[in-house]
Amino acid sequence: MGLGEWGKRGRGREEMEEQVEGLGRAFVDHYYYLFDNDRSSLPSLYHSTSMLTFEGHKVQGVDEISQKLNLLPFDQCQHVISTIDSQPSSFTGGIMVFVSGSLKLPGEEHQLRFSQMFHLVPSSEGSFFVQNDIFRLNYG
Amino acid sequence: MDPDAVAKAFVEHYYSTFDANRANLANLYQESSMLTFEGQKIQGSPNIVAKLTSLPFQQCQHSITTVDCQPSGPAGGMLVFVSGNLQLAGEQHALKFSQMFHLMPTPQGSFYVLNDIFRLNYA
Repeated sequence: MGLGEWGKRGRGREEMEEQVEGLGRAFVDHYYYLFDNDRSSLPSLYHSTSMLTFEGHKVQGVDEISQKLNLLPFDQCQHVISTIDSQPSSFTGGIMVFVSGSLKLPGEEHQLRFSQMFHLVPSSEGSFFVQNDIFRLNYG
Repeated sequence: MDPDAVAKAFVEHYYSTFDANRANLANLYQESSMLTFEGQKIQGSPNIVAKLTSLPFQQCQHSITTVDCQPSGPAGGMLVFVSGNLQLAGEQHALKFSQMFHLMPTPQGSFYVLNDIFRLNYA
């Protein structure tokens, strides 16, 4: 059901918001679990059209994204999520997810704070893939 | 037009309008636009402008630290991810924030904000 249909019915909109929030949370849990426990599986969430901008560095497609994530200068890490905000992104079932949290690296005394946004697009298999991904550390 | 240039122009326009007169942000949003401001969800231009003009400060100044953008898909949309500082008049320390915009093209050749999510970044 597209965004326009939901928008016409007040009660329907609340239901859609809850559904979108639920999908956003489920995705975030899955994404950071994979990142922290099985980073080599993360590329399965991206497609050939996917784009990642990591601290200003842009890469596109599964191979480049996989390489970027594998070459990050730490082997282990733990993401701790503070906030998750989700909204439907379009009339075709996409979802925007905006995350803030902390990133703990082993041996480091202080956690890094970060913000990240994902644009999730429905896949033909009935789940979502990451079309857009932008990550920034929050300094200061 | 170069997407990075479009994103930069939008960001400059958005925050200078915000800082000068928030009511003038109305024509950047439409009925389908959604704002989530510190977790509170609002839909539609009049409601969004009402929220922004009722924020508990008269004067503010945004200074932008980073702008990242990516095209969002075949409909010609653009995602813009911003981080920066928000200085409120009379406050000693600036607040840090992150904000994302999903811009969609209008038939007139400009953009409106379909999705807007704002979060303060606490230490």
